[in-house]
Amino acid sequence: MITHSWNSIKLVFRQGTFVPLLASAIAGGAIITPVVIVLWRSLTTGKLGFSVGLTLTNYVRVFGDRDILPMLGNSMVYAGGAAALGTGLGALLAWIVARTNTPGKTLVELMPLYPILMPPIMKNIAWILLLAPRSGILNNMLQQFFGIEAQPFNAFSMAGMIWVFGLACVPLGYLFLLPVFLSFDPSLEESAYIAGSKPANTMLKITFPLAIPALFSAFVLNFLRGLRSFETPVLQGVPGNIKVFVSRVYDSMALEFNSGLATAYSIVLVALSVVVLLVYVRATRFSERYATITGKGYRVKVIDIGPWKYVTFLTVFLYFLAGIAIPFVVLIVVSMIPYFDYDTFMKFPSNMVFTNYVTVLKHPSFITGLYNSLVLSTTIAVVTVLAGIVMAFTIYRTRAYGTKLFEFIGTLPLAFPPLVLSVGLVIVFLGTPLYNSLWALGLGLFVAYFPYAFRNASGSIVNIHKELDEAAWVHGAKWRHVFFKITLPILKPAVGGALFYIFIEAIRNVDVAVLLTSPGKEYGPVTLFEYFRVGQWAEAAAGGVIYLIILIIAVSVAKFAFKMKFSL
Amino acid sequence: MAILKVDGLSKRFKDVKALDNVTFEFDSGILSFLGPSGCGKTTLLRSIAGLELPDAGSISIADKVQTSIEQGILVPPYSREIGFVFQNYALWPHMTVFNNIAFGLRLRKVANAEIKSKVLSSLELVGLKGREDRYPSQLSGGQQQRVALARSLALEPRLILLDEPLSNLDAKLREEMRLEIRRLIKKVRISALYVTHDQEEAFTISDAVIVMEGGRILQYDAPDAIYNHPAHPFVASFIGHSTLVDGKIVSVANGSCVVAVADFGGANLVSHAPSSVSPGDVCKVVIRTGEVRLSNEKFSDRADNVLVGRMTSREYRGGLTDHRVQVGSKEIVVTSHKFCPMIRIEGDTRDIFVSIDKSAISLIVGS
Repeated sequence: MITHSWNSIKLVFRQGTFVPLLASAIAGGAIITPVVIVLWRSLTTGKLGFSVGLTLTNYVRVFGDRDILPMLGNSMVYAGGAAALGTGLGALLAWIVARTNTPGKTLVELMPLYPILMPPIMKNIAWILLLAPRSGILNNMLQQFFGIEAQPFNAFSMAGMIWVFGLACVPLGYLFLLPVFLSFDPSLEESAYIAGSKPANTMLKITFPLAIPALFSAFVLNFLRGLRSFETPVLQGVPGNIKVFVSRVYDSMALEFNSGLATAYSIVLVALSVVVLLVYVRATRFSERYATITGKGYRVKVIDIGPWKYVTFLTVFLYFLAGIAIPFVVLIVVSMIPYFDYDTFMKFPSNMVFTNYVTVLKHPSFITGLYNSLVLSTTIAVVTVLAGIVMAFTIYRTRAYGTKLFEFIGTLPLAFPPLVLSVGLVIVFLGTPLYNSLWALGLGLFVAYFPYAFRNASGSIVNIHKELDEAAWVHGAKWRHVFFKITLPILKPAVGGALFYIFIEAIRNVDVAVLLTSPGKEYGPVTLFEYFRVGQWAEAAAGGVIYLIILIIAVSVAKFAFKMKFSL
Repeated sequence: MAILKVDGLSKRFKDVKALDNVTFEFDSGILSFLGPSGCGKTTLLRSIAGLELPDAGSISIADKVQTSIEQGILVPPYSREIGFVFQNYALWPHMTVFNNIAFGLRLRKVANAEIKSKVLSSLELVGLKGREDRYPSQLSGGQQQRVALARSLALEPRLILLDEPLSNLDAKLREEMRLEIRRLIKKVRISALYVTHDQEEAFTISDAVIVMEGGRILQYDAPDAIYNHPAHPFVASFIGHSTLVDGKIVSVANGSCVVAVADFGGANLVSHAPSSVSPGDVCKVVIRTGEVRLSNEKFSDRADNVLVGRMTSREYRGGLTDHRVQVGSKEIVVTSHKFCPMIRIEGDTRDIFVSIDKSAISLIVGS
């Protein structure tokens, strides 16, 4: 029997849920808006800002596009190839570091640092400078030193795209596989030895098969990153006329100004992402069942691989050169020569100048962009992490109804490539005063990074025993005391990590910001992207080095002031 | 004045009745809720604390209504002025021992000097003087338990609730702590509710015990009454140390009665007669294992309540030994002390005589 008094009791029992619920609803609303808009606009016609009736025209055009099948094929080959290269190499490096006596493996042990220091766009710039067909450093070197005229390297080819993005996929493969190899239950191998299996056979039949689920998870996640990636398809694919979905969305929006078409392509891309995401969820569930890691924390035995250790050393060293050293060196050198061509490059350091830095730092669009990216990424990191904690708190720590919905909303942006969110926000804000303001940009970054903050906070909150909250209640605490004095302080280590991660990701973001910037409201990484597209390569490199310095400072602050660890 | 009054409390979790019309009153002292896991004892405790919302019924602490579904009253947990000691201690890991204990006092806007003196005196009470700057992770399990207790006692509640507080400690420490907890609670003279599934713990710590099963109260009595006069077969079997058989009352006279036990080959046993029992009633016969004697000779001094059987096994438990003797179709367990002569009884083929004292038998009529 529902009576008035019963309702009032339940109100008391569920008290303290209103403020968290309201905050979560606001965050949820901000997330769901661009998502709904993208869906809606894909079903309407008309120019930006107007919609003229429901229609399937956009989809008809998308599926009638004779490029669609090659485009789908390109997307698959590019994402699959890069994921295979990156995950495989990462796994190999993880095994070498964890299980072999390879000399010089310390070169790889700081792996978690490399993706932090090297923004994706910088990697693309460095490798284009190296691999470009005519002006590229490597092709010219082959000609100069070996007389090879064929110009075998081409940054603007599928192979070039796979190579560059594949290298960007290595850290994730490494980080997924290292714990598997490192805390592998030794008794699994030992029982194989007892059964008569020699080390090599044990490695093949026991160790590697047990790592397959983690390998698959890493592969699928890298594949998803490939589908969503923006810089490589636009900077390398478009000049080589290799079209994938992301670059097509960008073209429809930025060049053709056709929002209906852009959103229709987006929806296809989202559908693909959802499928891959579901595969990923299944894969991680499977690998949890396959888990060989127990809480016992033993160290596995390092195996003496004899003369093979020189082969593994070579692998480590070549990865270090290609993945880390060469791009850094190229970028730094190019930033300090008057302009980029092969001959000028080879004269370094006799022609060292800092004019590129002066030019870049005098350029108002770079200065405002730099300032905006610093301010926005700091603000967004704080706001996103806090909102993520509040939403996770609402779901797991209050007695509010319908919190499952928040769980869904909080994870939703993962299915949306950042560029697609950006498309949605352009459409939302067009014609409002918020268009051409930093608010739109901030909101875009917030939505794009919210799932990371949210998943991080949920993971940590469910690990805090509920009795700690209840103990506070019975000793006189209301919800705000529980949130500020118990939950938040206990979450501190996790909060620090998430703040740092989102700051690092946001400050070098291109794919959310690219459609939301405007004169006077620049975003640093987008400015560099534009420099590069118009051929100001040396200036782009100088700007990149400035960002590199900022990232090094951020890492040092995190390491020394907040005691964050960058190796496993 | 009753410190606690619970009336018609019911609570359902999906298909499970966690509490089924629970009603009782408790004046003062230490009261245990005893029962197997899933019997509703923790739900009852959490409802009293306001952490669980019952479907029906009411709860009053010190004559003040805290929960009343019918009247639409629900006092939130932070206003109930109770103490609560959790199973996993629930010490806040980011606060020192001092701050853990001071937490509730600060929320009550107690002056700093007073907070300090209260924290330190409650720490002294639990024997952890000088540990106030430690973090919970730097303490042993037993010490954490004491801090959790001190944290609740510092608030000087009228009633302290303890939810299986000793279940994470090892056996030896558990025995030590249960005496300690009883001593402390008696010393500060407050009332306590104590949830446990361990009957020995319930008996040693409390002044009264509520035995629960399936969300219902089966018996509410003093520990010795529960042991000697179980009111329900489940109580007898949960308390243990007894053999349970079906019986039928044959005759009643002069405060004694004769009960026939089919499982013992129709043997008659004489026992004290429970009130309002009449011939023909069916009953459960509870035979306490520690009050039975064994012999391989006929007992010369007694004729009543002597059964004949065969020894089937013997379990040596250190100080005590359990003998299992097959009588009719039932096994009867006899626990003997190390120095009792009966331990020397040998041989599987010889008849064993089992003498059951009248006072070793309780009858539960009507079941």
